[in-house]
Amino acid sequence: MRKVFLGLLLAAISGFAFADSGPGCGAGSVLFKGQDRLAPHVLAATTNASFGNQTFGMTTGTLGCDTSKPIDVMAANFFDQNMEQLATDMSRGEGEHLNALITLMKVQEADKDHFKATVKNQFSVIFPNQNVTSKEALSGLEKVMKGDTALAKYLS
Amino acid sequence: MCGWAQAEIPTLEELLAAAQQQQLSERPAWWALLHYRPTVLGWTHKSQADDPRFFLAKNGKTDPHGELTATLIALRNGDGQGTHPQCRFPARFYWLQQQGHPFSRIPAVPCPQLASWLEQLNTARVTLVFASSYLNSPSSMFGHTFLRLDPPSFNQDSLILASTVSYAADAAAHDSEIMFAYRGIFGGYPGITTVEPYFDKLRLYSKLENRDLWEYALNLRPDEVTQLLRHVWEIKDKRFDYFFFDENCAYRLLALIDVARPGTRLIPQVSILRAIPSDTVRIVVANHLVDSVYFRPSQATELRHHLSQLKASERHWVFSMNESQQLPSEKATAGLAPERYAAVLETAYELVRYRVQKEQLSREATADLSYGLLQARSKIPGSSPLSAAPRPKVRDDQGHPTGRITAMAGRQGQRPYLGLSLRPAYHDFSDPAPGYRLGSQLQFLNAELRYYWESNQFELEQLNLVDIISLSARDRFFRPISWQAGFGADRQLTSEGTRPLAAYLKGGAGVSYGIAHGLAYALATGTGRIGTQLQDSYQLSPGIALGWNLQRYWGSFRVEAQSQFFPGQNEDPYYRGSASLNLYWPPGWGLTFNIGREKSGDFYAIILQGGVRLYF
Repeated sequence: MRKVFLGLLLAAISGFAFADSGPGCGAGSVLFKGQDRLAPHVLAATTNASFGNQTFGMTTGTLGCDTSKPIDVMAANFFDQNMEQLATDMSRGEGEHLNALITLMKVQEADKDHFKATVKNQFSVIFPNQNVTSKEALSGLEKVMKGDTALAKYLS
Repeated sequence: MCGWAQAEIPTLEELLAAAQQQQLSERPAWWALLHYRPTVLGWTHKSQADDPRFFLAKNGKTDPHGELTATLIALRNGDGQGTHPQCRFPARFYWLQQQGHPFSRIPAVPCPQLASWLEQLNTARVTLVFASSYLNSPSSMFGHTFLRLDPPSFNQDSLILASTVSYAADAAAHDSEIMFAYRGIFGGYPGITTVEPYFDKLRLYSKLENRDLWEYALNLRPDEVTQLLRHVWEIKDKRFDYFFFDENCAYRLLALIDVARPGTRLIPQVSILRAIPSDTVRIVVANHLVDSVYFRPSQATELRHHLSQLKASERHWVFSMNESQQLPSEKATAGLAPERYAAVLETAYELVRYRVQKEQLSREATADLSYGLLQARSKIPGSSPLSAAPRPKVRDDQGHPTGRITAMAGRQGQRPYLGLSLRPAYHDFSDPAPGYRLGSQLQFLNAELRYYWESNQFELEQLNLVDIISLSARDRFFRPISWQAGFGADRQLTSEGTRPLAAYLKGGAGVSYGIAHGLAYALATGTGRIGTQLQDSYQLSPGIALGWNLQRYWGSFRVEAQSQFFPGQNEDPYYRGSASLNLYWPPGWGLTFNIGREKSGDFYAIILQGGVRLYF
């Protein structure tokens, strides 16, 4: 299974070139993004255009992510790329993006519901304010998982 | 032993002779692999690939046979490039191997990069995804399609992590929209095939653009899926010039399916000059390639559906939170049951996020409320009672075919005529509504020719090159602008009593409201006309158009009144009132009736017209 999802995630992060660059994963992403970056994307989709040369990201070395972090680099990248959707799902304790994150973190079936309930209960710890960056939110998630006996084992 | 083993490897002469004997270079499967299409006269072939690196023969673009010869040589002997031709063109190699002895005995070289790429994509099924049109953007009516590569552990949890393959124009970000449109239509953009994660596509289409997605799971077998991916590998960084109308996103995907399953021959089924994505989906469905269809509502569709599930008082909370950018006090909402309050909070949040994108609200203005709504929602346990938006009864690919021909008879004032009109694409208000977005009209190259038999005259009545109308109802929550734009040539009564043909360019903007099951609209319009027979050779006219438009499953009805004024010109105002009724029956056919009156100065004319339509 690990291989399967590794493959998925390598595929998934191919769009990473668009993410805010900086040291570590998602250093710059703020929970609610503004408007300025949307225009080219909207134009792109409207007109079937593709902006930028999205070659397939095959190596993790170029992503600028610190892989020694407790949360797997793939999950961290996904978190960074989908922070708003994850915040939405976590506030409800359910949703597609939350399911995907759980998959990437390799949470076992038996712990899935507990994971969902926990991130919902601890929403304000993971997302303490509206300006939280994905790096901070990931630290928050780590903290929440560390403090939970059932979830701590999913941190490396 | 050594000699024996070598004897097993076919000689070049053997391969070429066998290829000649089996006429491999004339097989449709070979043409599909190389993207050859017959040229105008049909005697020769030309590849749609525009990248010399895609060919192994120097004149490979126009020579299927020469390319096959070069390919056989290269696959057997290599070509001295860094990467072996077998690894650069694995789909060709695979297909040739399938042609039996002696091709199957060409020794295979290892292709580690390709192998790891395939392993990473880890694809069990291929799903064709169709992004439908979205509100207030008729240009999106053209739709968009891409392929999703579904992993074997196909389930809701991993689906958004799947990769997608799409073909798109590779436009530089700084190109203006007009330049983009121009180059897209007349050529000049390199098209490239890209691989991106599905969640990126979802964000783009579902959230930013509010386009509903239809997912068509294809019934390609595992070996066909692998062949499709091999071909993606072959073309993914190769240039294919991109054209909006034909060689576009949808077209190129059909070519991939043709390679994956030799014998499908989807590309030859595409109409000349119009690979409309919804039409290409129709082709895929008609060729029995689809297993199942899944509907994924956009953010806006969900929002509308969620609003419809709230009580009036609950909708008021949603509205007032968005207006005040504040959450109500706990006391104020104490009367709401927790799960109902959860529904209100979720819907209010969806509305904020929708408006941020649609109305370009700033982050500063909305982040507080957005965050407050999520935080408040997280404190209410359990799911909200809101249900997901249902799947529409009619899919986008089940609407009327986009081509239309109308035979009609009518009277223009005192002059009776017979008329014929042809509209190759796409949809207007008089067409059957199911499968299309209400209030959206997008037509290309709509032409009408009339024969006035009493005077034995043929006249071009109109040629609308582009004709767009977008009517979107406004309400408390949604405040879109309705608009129209178009250019072409048509006839209009002048105050001298003539109806000269003139080129026009028109635009308009205004508002629409849902009234009595239909859309009532008011648009301020501006029209510019140029024609040698016009009094000053040109006209510039502001005006207004008021109308009501009803679109139902049985047909449609529309009334419209419009006026145009000619300030500074020696031309009297122009008025026109019209009503049209359209009935759709039997399937694929329709009846159309129009009555109108136009007036300019002392001249006026009554127009009556009836016709029969065929969709194709």
